Amino acid sequence: MGQQIAYRLLLSVPVLLGVLVFGFLLLKLAPGDPAMVVAGPSATPDVVEQIRKEMGLDQPTLVQFWRYISRVAQGDLGRSMINNTSVAEELALAMVATAELMIACLAWAVPAGIAMGTIAAVFQRGLIDRVVMAFSVAGVSMPVFFIGLLLMQYLGYKWQLLPFLGRGGPLWTLEGLRHITLPAMTLGFIFVGPVARMTRASVLDVLKADFIRTARAKGLREKTVIIRHALRNALIPVVTLVGLQAGYLLGGAVVTESIYSWPGVGRLAVGAILASDMPLAQGAILSLAIAFLVINLIVDLLYGLLDPRVQHR
Amino acid sequence: MTSTDIESSTPLPRPVGLLRRLASDSTVLIAGGILVTIVAASLLAPFIAPYDPYETGYAPFIPPAFMEGGTSEFLLGTDQQGRDLLSRLLYGTQATLLTGLLGVFFGGGAGVVLGILAAYFKKFDPPIMRFVDVLLSFPAILFGLAIAAVIGPGIVPIIIALSIATVPDVARVTRSTAVVVMSQEYMEAGRAIGLSDRHLIIRYLGLNCIGSVFVFLTLRFGQVILIGAALSFLGLGARPPMAELGMMAAQGRDALFFAPHISTIPSLAIFMIVLCANMLGDALRDALDPRMRNM
Repeated sequence: MGQQIAYRLLLSVPVLLGVLVFGFLLLKLAPGDPAMVVAGPSATPDVVEQIRKEMGLDQPTLVQFWRYISRVAQGDLGRSMINNTSVAEELALAMVATAELMIACLAWAVPAGIAMGTIAAVFQRGLIDRVVMAFSVAGVSMPVFFIGLLLMQYLGYKWQLLPFLGRGGPLWTLEGLRHITLPAMTLGFIFVGPVARMTRASVLDVLKADFIRTARAKGLREKTVIIRHALRNALIPVVTLVGLQAGYLLGGAVVTESIYSWPGVGRLAVGAILASDMPLAQGAILSLAIAFLVINLIVDLLYGLLDPRVQHR
Repeated sequence: MTSTDIESSTPLPRPVGLLRRLASDSTVLIAGGILVTIVAASLLAPFIAPYDPYETGYAPFIPPAFMEGGTSEFLLGTDQQGRDLLSRLLYGTQATLLTGLLGVFFGGGAGVVLGILAAYFKKFDPPIMRFVDVLLSFPAILFGLAIAAVIGPGIVPIIIALSIATVPDVARVTRSTAVVVMSQEYMEAGRAIGLSDRHLIIRYLGLNCIGSVFVFLTLRFGQVILIGAALSFLGLGARPPMAELGMMAAQGRDALFFAPHISTIPSLAIFMIVLCANMLGDALRDALDPRMRNM
């Protein structure tokens, strides 16, 4: 276990460096002269030259890279080329919005998936099982944007039930909740399936265990056996699945944000790339990559905490 | 690898009567039939498409023939620029399938090479597997964003992103199969009669690993198509006026509330392709390993 974490941490160092090199190159590749962009169109050559010196653009590449790393370490990711705002500030706001969306999605999709998977396992090969499994296959086969466009078209536009553009404010306000409902439903839809499938397989597996037979032999009610004994043990792989699927969820989140104009990191990144706003794109990709390094570390840690048997492997 | 290594010297599973088992499964027949029809239709697009997919001269926003206001002239209606949707759908399916196939092909190829090298040359094993771990820590969508940021949006960055996303898993599957193959007696025999590394790797190792990699890629194909479609939908893929399903769905967004068919029809096509691919993959996995049926 300790070895596993040490390995992960060691592996993160070169990866982090690689990610930083990538971000640096992205800025270098940007079309146009950054000094000119900062100086503005009406600046004289002297002013541009001075800004170039101030920005360190006259230094060798390695020195520039070192400066870049120390700037990033201090949370300075440069300024957007389009509207000259601080990239770090924009990203901080966008990260909150993306985190909100993911939490709102998990808040309904994980319980729903666990419930569906458990019921399917209990009634294995019955009608409910077939419906749940069909729903699960359909869920992983649907493009996120298809779900999003359908929900937007019916729940949002035709029946006027929910707003479908942008964020309505903090989550604890009614408007905030109303605005996040459709995006969270869309993103959750692709996640319920995998969770239900995993829970079903895991519960079926646990139901074969000796301690379940013992519990039944003790004369416990079937409900208690399923919920107290089977489900609790079956949840370990489900929790790891949620962690491992963070990347899958992010892919869905980027599309969902773009459909509902949700002001998250994904939408910011795509917009920046399409507009060739390299500092913003660099910041968004950099922070997403670092977020993933951290998520992977946390999942590894959780593995050991949830299932002590992992430590002995 | 010593010959006393019990776990890795177990013989490879032989799929006996695999095709017969698959053919008796009604899911396989239906999903396979639909998929074959879709692929054939997209390949025959130049011959069966009623109109030029780029011809813009017709009335825009005509609904499909089966809906109110539709005409039999345009079976699936026209899009926002007055192009025949059926023709664009056929060509778009071709582009979408080709993008996915190329991604799986290049990614799968690179993965097989890495996996076999890691299994055959012990000294390459740690660096290759570390590299694979690194690739695994980032989601496909992030590769898509990063590559599109460097070389600009287009079909090529999508194919590269899909390839990179396919490499690590294929490398792992290949390596685990190759390690088992390495412990087989014929490998020992081949080495004993003095065959070259190249011959052993290609003829002995490679050919014996291809089967499991193929099964794995079948399982993954649906997901690869979905990622590609998502990247195209975001505008990072095919450039207009080219027809590609994800991009067509994105272009139909502006007309969503009065001509929903423009985005619904390509989305539905992606859904059908991925659904059939996933069902076929599941059936293939069940047929190869009946113990997995409950998964």
